[in-house]
Amino acid sequence: MNPIIRLVYRNLTISINPGFIIWQILFPLIYIFVAGFAYTSLIENVPFGNKDLSYPAFLASGMIGFNIMNSTLISGIIIWNDRRNGMFEQIMSGPYTRSDYILSNIVTIGIIGLVSAALIAAVGYPVFFESVEFSIITIPLLIFASVVGAILFGSIASIISTRLRSSEGFNVIINTVFLFFAFASTAFYPAQGAPQPLAIAFYINPLSYLVDIVRAGIFGQMTDFVIMEMIFLIVLASALFVIATKLLTKLDF
Amino acid sequence: MLCIQTSNLTKKYGSSLAVDKIDLEIKSGQVFGFLGPNGAGKSTVIKLLTTLMSPTEGHLTVLGIDAAKSPLEIRKKIGVVLQQPSYEMSLSVENALDKYGMMWDVDKKTRKKRTEELLTSFGLQDIRKKKNDDLSIGQRRRVQVAREFMHDMELLFLDEPTVGLDPSARRELLDFLKKQVQKTGMTIFYTTHVLSEAEYLCDNIAIINKGKILAVDSPNELKNRFGHEKTIKINLTKTSSSLSDLLSDIPDCKVELEPEPIITINSSNSEVVLMNILKILNQNNITINDLSAIPTNLEEIFLKVVSDSNEPDN
Repeated sequence: MNPIIRLVYRNLTISINPGFIIWQILFPLIYIFVAGFAYTSLIENVPFGNKDLSYPAFLASGMIGFNIMNSTLISGIIIWNDRRNGMFEQIMSGPYTRSDYILSNIVTIGIIGLVSAALIAAVGYPVFFESVEFSIITIPLLIFASVVGAILFGSIASIISTRLRSSEGFNVIINTVFLFFAFASTAFYPAQGAPQPLAIAFYINPLSYLVDIVRAGIFGQMTDFVIMEMIFLIVLASALFVIATKLLTKLDF
Repeated sequence: MLCIQTSNLTKKYGSSLAVDKIDLEIKSGQVFGFLGPNGAGKSTVIKLLTTLMSPTEGHLTVLGIDAAKSPLEIRKKIGVVLQQPSYEMSLSVENALDKYGMMWDVDKKTRKKRTEELLTSFGLQDIRKKKNDDLSIGQRRRVQVAREFMHDMELLFLDEPTVGLDPSARRELLDFLKKQVQKTGMTIFYTTHVLSEAEYLCDNIAIINKGKILAVDSPNELKNRFGHEKTIKINLTKTSSSLSDLLSDIPDCKVELEPEPIITINSSNSEVVLMNILKILNQNNITINDLSAIPTNLEEIFLKVVSDSNEPDN
């Protein structure tokens, strides 16, 4: 078996447990079905391209992007746990290279990101089915968002995990960063009507770009702006991936 | 065949010299002990030999493979139990063994067979379902060592593997290792601070201090080379307070009158000293109850070699 596949299998075995699955499914479901309908009286319709989306449909599609980002936390947790529990050094003294280790983490989060996106798309479908406009680019756009989002946010989680040794520091930093990404984005609310500084934060946040691409795929609203967002995400994900790889390569034993 | 060969192997951390121009030749099919005080450079040498680190200078060949050119090829043929614990927190003992075998590309049938064998050999059957997180330090260490035997290897590095083990578990591990060397012809590179372990297990031993190799030989040869001073104890049935005066002209001997009269000789020329003492005892009608020569052990040799190397001239 290929060394990367062996490590991916190992990563999935040690990371996926009932708690993680419940968190990955239950948390978005609560948002979609509780917050989605509860906030409908506050946010009636959200304009997206040439469409007016209901708030539950807007939120459900945003939760796909949010879940892709959330699932990549696992990458940071794997690296951090491996360092804390001595497994990083143990793996590196075995039949693996650092590239194998890094690539296996990326593949792991890519798989988890894809599965998470598919799960939320499936459970959120009843909420946004009225506005759905499937086309030939729907699935490729969702796969693009899952893979590029996994690399981007996985690299951020990896960078944080290589810089911090204490569990308290790791938890505080990673939760703060990911909370900022989640709530200062257009995953939960539209940017329109938000105070100017917050609206700017929304549009420098890569999660906003990610959910735009997901929504473009689901609601058939492919525009030049979405293409620019895709290019921006590719560039940012590549840069962060290079930084994460370099930091992992430099980790001392 | 040489299993490990180093020449001028050097590792610096900034300006600090951790490994200082080590030349080592270790033959295959033996247990090679690597002894040294804390901070002597043992773990750094292991990290160099296992290709976890690159040397600052020098050349290194493991199993005939150049470490600078093909480190991965070396790592495919060795096993490593590092000094610090390493474990998968969420896995049970049997799962940890199985998954570790999977990581080494061992087929499922072999993994299943080896897991059962190792659970028995390492006394882990009763805790096979327990998660690593719930194990004691000693149990976790046993799993860590057992896990390494899930895959085939030609050379095994064990960095203080018996830390946290109780005496019986320690002896069982040493016997298991001896059997593995006999059965498979593998080589074991073994570090420990328990010198009786090294004496029991190792065919050859190197002593390292301040990054330098001070001596390499078999335990017996080390004793012959460095164990010049022999200790002889003479227990007397009765004595007089004048015994100390009688022996005052004889060097390298110590007289104790309480709780029982004992003369201790500690000399590189102990036979001659003994003859002189026996003569005096005979002349004064002092009878001997017991006479015993205390064999030199590896611990004394180790302490002497390390303490000599700490002298300012060295």
